[in-house]
Amino acid sequence: MSLESSQLNELHWLMEMLHNIDVGLVVLDREYKIQIFNGFMENHSGLLPREVKGQCLFELFKEIPQDWFVRKADSVFLLKNKAFTIWEQRPYLFKFDSYRPVTGSADFMYQNTTFLPLLSATGEVSHLCLIVYDVTDNAMYKQSLEQVSPESLT
Amino acid sequence: MTTKLLICDDSNMARKQVARSLPDDWDVDISFANNGVEGIKAIKEGKGDVLLLDLNMPEMDGYQVLETILKEDLPTLTIVISGDIQPEAHERVTALGALDFIQKPVNKEKLTEVLLSYGVFTKPTSDTESKADKHLSAAPAAAEQLEKVVNTEKPVNTTKVIEPLHVAPVPVSNEQPPEEVEITMSSDMRDCYQEIANVAMGRAGDLLARILNVFVQLPIPNVNFIEVSELRMALKDIESTESTSGICQGFISAGISGEALLILNDSSFKDVASLMNYHYEEDKSTELELLMDLANVLIGSCLKGVSEQLDIQFSQGHPEVLGQHRNISDLIANNAKKWKKTLAIEISYSIENYPIKCDLLLLFTEKSMQTLNNKLAYLIE
Repeated sequence: MSLESSQLNELHWLMEMLHNIDVGLVVLDREYKIQIFNGFMENHSGLLPREVKGQCLFELFKEIPQDWFVRKADSVFLLKNKAFTIWEQRPYLFKFDSYRPVTGSADFMYQNTTFLPLLSATGEVSHLCLIVYDVTDNAMYKQSLEQVSPESLT
Repeated sequence: MTTKLLICDDSNMARKQVARSLPDDWDVDISFANNGVEGIKAIKEGKGDVLLLDLNMPEMDGYQVLETILKEDLPTLTIVISGDIQPEAHERVTALGALDFIQKPVNKEKLTEVLLSYGVFTKPTSDTESKADKHLSAAPAAAEQLEKVVNTEKPVNTTKVIEPLHVAPVPVSNEQPPEEVEITMSSDMRDCYQEIANVAMGRAGDLLARILNVFVQLPIPNVNFIEVSELRMALKDIESTESTSGICQGFISAGISGEALLILNDSSFKDVASLMNYHYEEDKSTELELLMDLANVLIGSCLKGVSEQLDIQFSQGHPEVLGQHRNISDLIANNAKKWKKTLAIEISYSIENYPIKCDLLLLFTEKSMQTLNNKLAYLIE
């Protein structure tokens, strides 16, 4: 296999992995327009890539409070630093249904998210990657534990 | 010379698919049969020089039909078209005299190729009539015959005879009719779901047969639009008769979401372990290992079978163990307020010569019905 084709293969695998990984991935530009949306995001939102490409995040997902989000994102752009949100602070960024609609007892998918700065070739942060983790099970366990013995967690 | 062709399948959708996949320029007289009993009757009436036969059918299945044909030396050439794609199923039907074995869903190229290779169909050298004419002339005859074949069930609405392929009455099912609610499932739709489940089940069964190296007995999948209370009852029933273990896994695609449940009788563990060459020790970890292996194979391939037919892709969440810490029925009880109805596809696999029983349930949410029905509408067209 030539070097070129092996590199192409690697790229192909990477794309395949990112598309199928059970974690949400979204790339936004500085105007919060969606550039890439992986399979997890497609399936849970029900939106196709062509429906979201170049669209403003806040218009497609009304549940995201713009001021709050921009404040977080600004610091990422400025400081070239990651930012995190956890479900205790904000149960979800995207309002998705619970992964287990039948046996799960959650009404929606609890999410932790990471805001990842993406550096351009010039070293500036031109884009931002959102990583969305489904932490519904953790949240449900912790909440039911709290109900049983509130002091056990403090 | 006009060939007398008999299509024997319990699914209306499958019969249509097969009829549509016949070579265009074949001069045939098509009849249909809903099950093996009707099929044999039709062959005896001389309606089946060529028989396209499904395997999983109520009343009398495909194997029994083949046995009867052999025993009574009936004059027909049989090609099996089945969702059961286990190598052993293939061997068994060939041993019983079938010419060939075609995998469902059937397509025109494959069917034409097989028909050509056995000389059942030869490409006409001189085309005196146009293809369309021939097709039309064959159609009403098929409708008439169909009426004769199936009139044991109920009178066929004669006004529909213009559209011969749609006349076939719904196969008799032992399920309750769906209740009248906002979303109902027409018998046509149910048939469609059943056929999709049938093909998906076949894929999963094939893989199961390969990893266990056994013959898997495929049932006719049960498709129901059921109330949550009914589901709870069904699960209670499973729990009360025997102790069981289960795995559930969520799946989602644009507009379609649900959960797959795999339930295995605890008594089956030992046999499964020996078939899979696991050293069985009676502890939870081996059991869980086995359960997960089975769940991966069955849930994965079944979902794949469904998604390929509907042309969608599912994301699958991480599987969750049921029953070890909590009762399955209790889990569902917690959510009774959240949802009322579900489309349930229930498949019970059993394995020949082993007391292994394993149930696979695919539960689709009420919300998914709209998207699913739209997808199916394309398939029926």
